Amino acid sequence: MSKGFLVFAQNTDTVDYVRQAYALALSIKFSQPEINSVSIVTNSPVPDEYQTVFDQIIPIPWFDETVDSALKAEHRWKLYHASPYTETIVLDADMLMLADISLWWEYCGNYDIKFCNRIRNYKKDVIVQDTYHRKTFISNNLNNPYYALHYFKQSDYAHDFYKVLEFVINNWEYCRGTFAPLDPQEWVSMDLAVALASKIYGIEDDVLSPLEFIHMKPAIQGWATTPISWRNFVNYVLNKKGEFVVGNIKQEKLFHYIDKNFVDDNLINRLEELANGT
Amino acid sequence: MTTGAVIFAQNNSTIDYIKLAIFAASRIKKYLDIPVSIVTDTKDYLLKSFPDHGFDQIIEIDFVAPVQNKKFFDGSVTSKVLPWKNHARTNVYDLTPYDRTLVIDSDYIISSTVLKSALDNDYDFQIYKNSFDLAIDRERDFERINQYSIPFYWATVFVFQKNTIMEAFFNLVSYIKTNWSYFRLLYNIDSSTYRNDFAFSIAIHIMDGKTQGDFAIELPGTMTYITDADVLIDIDENKMKFLTQRKNFLGEYTASKTTGLDVHVINKMSLLRYVNGGSGV
Repeated sequence: MSKGFLVFAQNTDTVDYVRQAYALALSIKFSQPEINSVSIVTNSPVPDEYQTVFDQIIPIPWFDETVDSALKAEHRWKLYHASPYTETIVLDADMLMLADISLWWEYCGNYDIKFCNRIRNYKKDVIVQDTYHRKTFISNNLNNPYYALHYFKQSDYAHDFYKVLEFVINNWEYCRGTFAPLDPQEWVSMDLAVALASKIYGIEDDVLSPLEFIHMKPAIQGWATTPISWRNFVNYVLNKKGEFVVGNIKQEKLFHYIDKNFVDDNLINRLEELANGT
Repeated sequence: MTTGAVIFAQNNSTIDYIKLAIFAASRIKKYLDIPVSIVTDTKDYLLKSFPDHGFDQIIEIDFVAPVQNKKFFDGSVTSKVLPWKNHARTNVYDLTPYDRTLVIDSDYIISSTVLKSALDNDYDFQIYKNSFDLAIDRERDFERINQYSIPFYWATVFVFQKNTIMEAFFNLVSYIKTNWSYFRLLYNIDSSTYRNDFAFSIAIHIMDGKTQGDFAIELPGTMTYITDADVLIDIDENKMKFLTQRKNFLGEYTASKTTGLDVHVINKMSLLRYVNGGSGV
């Protein structure tokens, strides 16, 4: 039995996802006392100085150069097949792990697959319904999964689910048109794909769980106006104890920062200090 | 274990807080049946003007010249800028003669026994975070100290026990007060005016490890209030009548009535008119 974190990180012209994955891996190293193996799935080059933090560097399986989308969502269903672990927690690259999540492993170990279905803003308010970003979920009465944080165990059940997910992504127009016709969302989103796959597979309730993270999309922060980046409105600091404080509020567990310019040299240096215990 | 209430009353040129405190104390004794002490910097005035004041103890503090002013509205169209002496409250830990203390503003009018249950338990600190504005069409203004920051707590009424944890808390509030110009910038507070609600909110946040915690327990019920843009009409036993400002209609009001509700009457001038024997209008 092996357990570990898996991160998909394929660079684009504008975003260095591998660097983000490196920052995430460092945060896992300093915050997780027991399970802290991290593998990265990428076809982008991984710099030498980043490589030691990763358990494995895994090429994207069945990579097709003709697939060209900003979010590379078309490849993400492959994570089940790429994972080197018996039990895997998948994370988006643009996240930081800030506290021990051993209890999540214990909880999820009782199931074959679990998705996060609850997010909070940095003020710790639970976002009951994200009416700004999730119109199509609400209008079509879909469940509310977040692919950015999910768990699976190598099992027939999870394997079958990912086969359905593969079908949904490879037949996107058909699936979204059939199962989510209201307030249609045209681009391929993993969250919507999971919602559709769980509907097709008939496990809408089974895939949901108490997993949660802090989501920094500006529109859900409870502000009167919506900036391009949350960093325009609130200060933040990652201190030497590894406490990450945003707007004077200490963030816990998993922080989804979204902002592509969030990871800078100062943050990397601090994360390296924390991970190395220096 | 002794239990009692403490009211702070420091007059300015227009508002007789001592007179308000005597009225508030009479309500506390009637509905909560506990002794009430007053903290004031004008003991002589109290003894001379109100010989039948009924306070358990009179706790005198030094008279300090006002250090800040505040605009006090009296309804939606009238206001005065007056001295606001609110700095002594952080010393309540040392000033209170009781082991368990209900600290209450002189403009918080008790009309129920709901706070009795708070006096019967052993929590270190109970305070209101949840509040209800009697002007129902007004946008909620007291959920956070500002839209970017931490939850708002009302220092208007709270219950605390004397112990080392609460001593640390009040020391922290004093530290925040002393360094207010720093903390207000840190927490994005626009106004430079020191306000106990903000200092308490920040201190609670810090005591909770800068995250959500259970240091501060919610008092029973909900803090019901009118602002100083609203007007008290009158009080009859446990019934109170108000005029609350209409949204987008300056100078126009909506009538409302409460029965058996404790109400924070922030319009002190209206409350004082009522206490003086007339209508609050």
